[in-house]
Amino acid sequence: MSWEHLKWFAAAAAMCWVTGAVLALRDAKQWRAAAVSACGSLIFFAFIVGMWISLERPPLRTMGETRLWYSFFLSVAGVAVYVRWRYKWILSFSTMMSVVFICINLFKPEIHSKSLMPALQSPWFVPHVIVYMFAYAMMGAVTLFAIYLWWRSSRKAPTAEEMGVCDNLVRIGWAFLTLGMVMGALWAKEAWGDYWTWDPKETWAAATWLGYLLYLHLRPQTKDYNVTFALLIFSFLMLQMCWYGINYLPSAQGVSVHTY
Amino acid sequence: MTLKWGYKRAFLRCALLFVVGAALQLALGDFENKFLRYPWGLIFAINYLYLLLLIYVQSAKWSWLKQLYDGYASVSSLASLIVLTIIFGLTRQDPATQGIVGALGFSRMTSSWIFIIFLTYFVTTLGITTIRDLHHWRKVRLATLLSHAAVFVALAAAMFGSADKERVTVNLALDRMTYEGVTRDGEPYELPFALTLKEFKMEEYPAKLYLLDTKTEESSEEFLLVEREGVEANIGGWELKVKQSLEMGARMPESEEFREMKHIGAVPAVKVEAKNAATGERYEGWVSCGSHIFEPAYLWLGDRYAVAMPRREAKRYLSRLEIMDGEGESWRENIEVNKPARIGSWRIYQVGYDTQRGRWSSSSVVECVRDGWWSVVRVALWLILAASLVMFLTAGGRSLAENKEVKR
Repeated sequence: MSWEHLKWFAAAAAMCWVTGAVLALRDAKQWRAAAVSACGSLIFFAFIVGMWISLERPPLRTMGETRLWYSFFLSVAGVAVYVRWRYKWILSFSTMMSVVFICINLFKPEIHSKSLMPALQSPWFVPHVIVYMFAYAMMGAVTLFAIYLWWRSSRKAPTAEEMGVCDNLVRIGWAFLTLGMVMGALWAKEAWGDYWTWDPKETWAAATWLGYLLYLHLRPQTKDYNVTFALLIFSFLMLQMCWYGINYLPSAQGVSVHTY
Repeated sequence: MTLKWGYKRAFLRCALLFVVGAALQLALGDFENKFLRYPWGLIFAINYLYLLLLIYVQSAKWSWLKQLYDGYASVSSLASLIVLTIIFGLTRQDPATQGIVGALGFSRMTSSWIFIIFLTYFVTTLGITTIRDLHHWRKVRLATLLSHAAVFVALAAAMFGSADKERVTVNLALDRMTYEGVTRDGEPYELPFALTLKEFKMEEYPAKLYLLDTKTEESSEEFLLVEREGVEANIGGWELKVKQSLEMGARMPESEEFREMKHIGAVPAVKVEAKNAATGERYEGWVSCGSHIFEPAYLWLGDRYAVAMPRREAKRYLSRLEIMDGEGESWRENIEVNKPARIGSWRIYQVGYDTQRGRWSSSSVVECVRDGWWSVVRVALWLILAASLVMFLTAGGRSLAENKEVKR
């Protein structure tokens, strides 16, 4: 398996996802839309597994590789939310996001050496990155939903149920951000001797984590959804900074140990 | 005019704290944590805990004390900490920075009074909230209680234990006993144990061949991974084929050919055939990355391009150490990246080696780290992991707005 095969797997997966999204929008039987979408995720996962085998290491190191997981988890999160809360639009959202990230990989691949430096050879490597990618996917989904609720054409104020979705997505996303951060800390102690060193990536991870934590504490206290939506979008911007923004940030140049 | 306690006053308090922090920073310079050295860190921590407990108990009588940990306080302290963390992330951490950023300590954020004050405020709010959660544990979600408590313990232990961390870099030469190192501040440090490097071993990834443009001094993005003899790749219009590959080789002076040699300084060498499909040119020759003894070898393809092999990347490296403790007892242990050795509250990490000599390095750089509070932090971190799992598994119940009744 190589990056050459991505387009075929991606096309098959995207076809499933789009079909699932259309079925959901057309109020088809829930299990059909879910099953078709899940098939898409399965096909895409097969590509990831194939890459894992041919690279002889988990495909989690380069930006291109983490984007694979992001697409995968977005689609899985979409199906999970659809099954759990029956929002028929969520599959369209997750499909769109997954496809965007696949397209970035197809048109701007950042490839992709086979070697894995010693610091990354740890049992923490796989769970740390996968858990983060899942968290990012959840936060991506809640951000899109917030944008939709905030600026939808009907200008309707969000219902308690809609805000409930945001809350739950953030709860799950934040739980995974926390898992990722703590796994990173436990790993850092083994690899670098300290669990927290305020490396630029860590600093931005902390800012992101605190941002969503503020959301969790602000929601019970304010009815002003403008503030909560603005905070969700702002936190997602911080997340972008943490994920890849620091690669371009002048203050982080040459000092982060998180550049691979 | 009196302003009712609410967001405005809560954020006004944060602004005041900022001013106080700035004033202290300007007046006293960086925050020094030396006063927290053992046993003082522990003493302060116990008193701090007692103080938090006292505030919580007294807040039943004096309700203004609730302003230290109610919803307004937690939101405002959290928001202020976010602002500071963003400044932290945007400011290059460099002690030499001048100007307003340097004067306020933002370029040395972890020792800036402003940062310390806001972190303390946040941890205080969190600590009293944890006590309240424990007091009313029936009314609070398990995930909330666990995360409050665990994050509080982790942060408090990190703060009060910050002065008890010691990081000592030690350069080890083969078979020479060493018990002295250098701290991060450049001070010499005598370790309570002695280390001797008995062996240094390294495994490397297979060599990679790149096409080098000698005019622009850029190498191709694609490469040929020399996993075995016979592998081929097309790079920049050149068909490269590996005819022969030596793991350890050397070329005698005056000779064109590399041959097998198992000796210090031996280099990986590859005999490559390069054909240009468009022009029909064909070259053959040896390519090697060289070592501290042998020069690198390139295969020239005409006068502009060449096939080159960069130094191979390290896959893993390990130091076999003999460790002797203060009692004179000694034992051997291997350390590698991600696999430190332990001796009491110290851990010994593999950090580096002589990169000039690579796999032939006869020295090794290790870092000895002591963090007396790590056991507390570690328990707290595992608790946070558990809390997140509980949070994930129980998500989907009440919405956050419905939590309000419990919160207030």
